[in-house]
Amino acid sequence: MQKKQGILTRRDFIRGTVGTTLGVSLMGPKWLHSNEKKAGPSLVIIVRDQNVMDANRNINTGILKKMLDQTVITLTGKENIKDAWLSLLSPKDTIGLVPTPHLNPTHTEVVEVVQNSLMAAGIPQEKIREAQGGPDKPKACTALIPLPGLKAHWLTGIGTVLKNYILYSGNPRNYHGENNAKLGETWNLPFVKGKTKLILVDALYPLCDKGPQPDPRYKWAYNGLIAGFDPVAVEAVCLKIITEKRKALKGEPWPLSPPPLCVEAAEKVYKLGTSRMENITIKHFGWEKDLLI
Amino acid sequence: MEENKINLPKNISAWTRPDSPRLITSKNIFDYMNGAGELYLGYHFNSLEVYEYKSKDENDILLELYFMESSDDSFGLLSLDWEGETVVFDRSTNKISNSSIVPPVRALYGKGLLRIWSGNLYVRIMAVRDTSTAKDVILQLGKMITTNRQDASPPEMLNVLSPSVAPNWKLRKDRVSYFHSHLILNSLYYLSHKNILRLNHSTEAVFASYERILNSKDRDRIHFLAIKYPDTEKAKQAIDSFHNAYLPEYKQNKPLDSPDGSTKFFKIEDGWLGYRQQNRSIAVVFECPDMESAQAIINQPRLQYLFVDFNVHNPEAKGDVKEINDKED
Repeated sequence: MQKKQGILTRRDFIRGTVGTTLGVSLMGPKWLHSNEKKAGPSLVIIVRDQNVMDANRNINTGILKKMLDQTVITLTGKENIKDAWLSLLSPKDTIGLVPTPHLNPTHTEVVEVVQNSLMAAGIPQEKIREAQGGPDKPKACTALIPLPGLKAHWLTGIGTVLKNYILYSGNPRNYHGENNAKLGETWNLPFVKGKTKLILVDALYPLCDKGPQPDPRYKWAYNGLIAGFDPVAVEAVCLKIITEKRKALKGEPWPLSPPPLCVEAAEKVYKLGTSRMENITIKHFGWEKDLLI
Repeated sequence: MEENKINLPKNISAWTRPDSPRLITSKNIFDYMNGAGELYLGYHFNSLEVYEYKSKDENDILLELYFMESSDDSFGLLSLDWEGETVVFDRSTNKISNSSIVPPVRALYGKGLLRIWSGNLYVRIMAVRDTSTAKDVILQLGKMITTNRQDASPPEMLNVLSPSVAPNWKLRKDRVSYFHSHLILNSLYYLSHKNILRLNHSTEAVFASYERILNSKDRDRIHFLAIKYPDTEKAKQAIDSFHNAYLPEYKQNKPLDSPDGSTKFFKIEDGWLGYRQQNRSIAVVFECPDMESAQAIINQPRLQYLFVDFNVHNPEAKGDVKEINDKED
């Protein structure tokens, strides 16, 4: 196959040669790449509750708190939520919560429930802050908990986990268009790498079409939280849910366009985790209807 | 340039707007909508006025007025998604023909979001919650905005599409989109993360899908792209770039530099691909089940609108195109 320029095309997706082509085209500073490999399958937890939102999309924070507890306890394997948090974080940490600000913003209730849960576990309030924004935000934190809203995105295919740190680059436009495959490098920035303790996706009311602006026709009540330690695995599960919802809406395959290059690149170039479903263990609890997995 | 002053009511039902809008230009559009700004900058964008109607008892209604340079641009924005409930504000002015190759609508509503194409104005009005009261107000606002505004016709470029192509390919009217930018092409049909067709503000493009029904369950679908460049040289450069990036194994079959243009067909992973470059235009067809289908699409009579360059090189040819169209219809 003659493919010397590293230009990724639709044909690479059909042939399954995305990783090869990406490896050529995403040349960048070595420190943005990684040689680390995750050991063993990645665990992703999905917790849903039919009653966490009412018909007017008011959120029951009591139910949301129970969902959060179940998510973090299952993920960590601890007995209770306090031990679960303290296995991930120390009261000495400065903890940055990183919600999504645009398109399908993270529900404020999700941020508040996480904050309150951390405080109940013994983390001082002054050590917890919102950390969405420019590079100064992660620099001021010793631990990060991304809290993205589940959504498709018109420039990157999916705009949930991997895109959540885009503002940390200081120049988000660098990742639009052809460079969206490089989103994984924002997780390897020196002042970000190693700080992410848990990824918790707000999947209460996701957006399954790419936007670029909020469109209520493509939002639905999934009523879930999705979490894991492997950002690529969590993104892959999110991608699966969005893909299945799009298919259900149209009654036929409705592929994301552009395809989410960033997911495979995050695995193969930036070594952030696994995007292969056979290497992901999904545990789900609660409401089963239209799980889409 | 059309009149840009829109008079909106200060109060409507239980909602009230601020005295003045938030004004967005190309300089601060990313502050307002993050990466979504690329969509509007991909068309010829002038400015955006944003009003938030608030109510003590009801959820907010967001009203956005996008002032584009031309009606073609605002049409293009609506054409990216034809789904929704058709809204007709004034039957006497809604004159898109039912035989048009796009859905005969100027406004679409769905789940709390109203989108309108009105001359050079593209409008989005969205309720946080889709209630019957909010819908009534949204539709009233839509009517106020469009009243006394001059409606325009869809872009001339759409004339390159035939409603049907022999033997049995039918145009999907709800899959016809007009645009300029490769980011928008990629959101409709991903080709490459690079701009391999060299699209930009000086190019006009139409993307469409054709279908043929095989049986009650199955259908074939093919995709068609037509692009008009500012001049022949740019079209030649674009097809060369496309061929090198998309068909690198076919180096021996690169288009000939001939005055008659060039039509080529290739069997690739997802079916037959055909392209034709002539004068300042390019047509490409993707995912054809056989070469005959690719030939039928790429040689459809209406493509004379694309390839016979009456605007630049051949002012006499316009009559020939009309004759072709008359025969076809």
